[in-house]
Parts: sequence; C-alpha cells; structure tokens
Amino acid sequence: MAIATILRAIFGYVFLILMVRIVGRRPGKQITPFEFVLIFYLGGLTLTGMVGQEVSFSNAACQILTIACTHYGIAIARQKSPRLARVLDGTPLTLLEGKQWRANTMSRMRIADDDVMAMARDQGVRTLDKIDTAVLERNGEISIIPAESEED
Amino acid sequence: MPTQEVPFTKPVEDSVPKVDNAIAVGEDLDFQRRWWKFERVIWSFFLLILLCDALGLFGRGWLAKAHARTPDGALDLKYERIERASTPSIMTIKLGPSAIQNGQAHLFLSDDVIRPMGAQRIAPQPATSVIGNGGITYTFPATAPPATITIALEPSFVGAHHFHLGIPGSEPIHATVVVVP
Repeated sequence: MAIATILRAIFGYVFLILMVRIVGRRPGKQITPFEFVLIFYLGGLTLTGMVGQEVSFSNAACQILTIACTHYGIAIARQKSPRLARVLDGTPLTLLEGKQWRANTMSRMRIADDDVMAMARDQGVRTLDKIDTAVLERNGEISIIPAESEED
Repeated sequence: MPTQEVPFTKPVEDSVPKVDNAIAVGEDLDFQRRWWKFERVIWSFFLLILLCDALGLFGRGWLAKAHARTPDGALDLKYERIERASTPSIMTIKLGPSAIQNGQAHLFLSDDVIRPMGAQRIAPQPATSVIGNGGITYTFPATAPPATITIALEPSFVGAHHFHLGIPGSEPIHATVVVVP
C-alpha cells in the first residue's frame, strides 16, 4: 500500500535521527572512518526496510518527497520550539572552565583530556593551562578559548 | 499588510544567556542531565529489544516456533507463530497413519494460509486441488507414513491471522500466526 511506504519512510527518517543523536556526537573536526562506517551502515540497513520489494520509480520519488517534507517540517518546528531544538541538537557543554575540568561531563561524553589538547593544538594553544574555556559544541567540535596572556 | 513581516535587521541581544560577561555558551546542564538519564534508559531498552529478537519474539527464533497436532495423531503441524513480513518460512505437516487411506491423503487448508500468510508453493505437487468451504482441499497420492507436506510461506499482510487445516471429516488444527512488519 502506498500509504504504508510513506509511513515507513517517515519512520525510517525519525528513527535514524534518534539513533544518530544517541550514538553520535564524538569529538573531532573531521568525520573519522569510525563515523563513516556508522553513517553508511545505518543508512544502508534502513534502506532495506524502507524500500522492501518496491523498486518502482514512483515509490522512490514519493519516499524522497516524503523525506523532504518531513525534514522541512522538522526544521520549521525546530526553529519555533527551543525545546525541540535542544532534543534534536543537544546543548553545548563546557568541558574546561577556569582551570577546572568538568569531570562528570567529560566522562559521560567519553572525552579524554587528549581530545581537548588535540583541538587546542589545532588552534595554536601550546599547553592545557593556556586554555580559558573548552566547550563541546552541538556538532561535536571542541571550541577552545585561549586564556588571555598575563603580559597584557 | 506588511506589519507581519520579519524585519530585515534587528539589534543583537543576549538571546544566548550570558553570566558575568563570560563566554556565551548557552549550556543547559539540566537538560543534559535529563538527556543522560534518557540515554541510560534507552541503551537498556536497546539491549532488551536485541535480547527479545535473539529469542525469537520478532520471529525466526526459539519463541516463534510452534507445534500442534490433532488428538487422533493424523496430522502433526510445525509452523512459526510469529512470522516476518516478506520473509520466507516453511510450514511442515506430517501425516499419521489414519491420514492415508486407499493410497490417498486429503488435506484442507483454510484461505488464510493462502492469502494473508502468502503460501507460495506446496510440495509435493497435489494431484488435485478443490476449492470450497473457505479453503482448498488438496489430494496427494500417498503410500505409508512417514509422509510430509511442506508449504513455503511468504506473508505480506501484517497482523494476526487465524487459520485452520485438517483432514476433511476429522478435527482440524486451529492456530494463529502473528505477522510482524
């Protein structure tokens, strides 16, 4: 039934958003091979269930339109509702502030001090004590704000 | 009319909360704590689902296998009480001595096996098949037990399906199959 394929497409999309939200957000600027495998594999597995035996062009086109509309709808809802935005994107998390690690946040987000230092080097900060604030952003990047140097 | 329009520019305000002129992060730890709780629950839920799947609660496993027989031992049916949509499976019917008479075995299958449960093939090929009484009565040439009939199923309709099969004139086997998406 056509309505079933549309519902399947919506379910697949929402399900994938939830899965990526739960599994995702690791530190680092680039997508590592680890994430590549995750994203492609999850996508491929979802596809088999969504398409099933219906390989017609009508089905593909309608499912693509369904996803487009769902995506648009969610984007609008996200803009209107800060609560939904928080659920979909998460919230930025402070990892380091005023020479203090946020140990609980670090362990729960499975981030090591190495990860923070790697991003600090990337932004030209030489040592951990030269970091004023480190923030895990919603897209998984770590922003480093260097401490103002004492000579100033 | 243009009163509803979004203005082209507006001043930057502290829409991301700031404290003591520190860096505007907009961290929401309360939300994050609730999210971590949710994650803990959902990971347990995922494991539970996988365990159910491994046991066969969603078909193709130990919990899905079912076995039924008529009181007189004429029929012995092995089937899966939980089927997956568009996934092949096999239903096996063993005939007892009382099922074979005069070199023939008759078997009645209700229509539910044919359509909602998607019977694809019946092996061996029956000599005759007669429709009526809400099903099909097959006739197979047969010698002596053990004798087995297999039906290849590929259900396409999700939901619970009741069916019955039996030898005409004796007590049929009633069973229910749940087809999961």
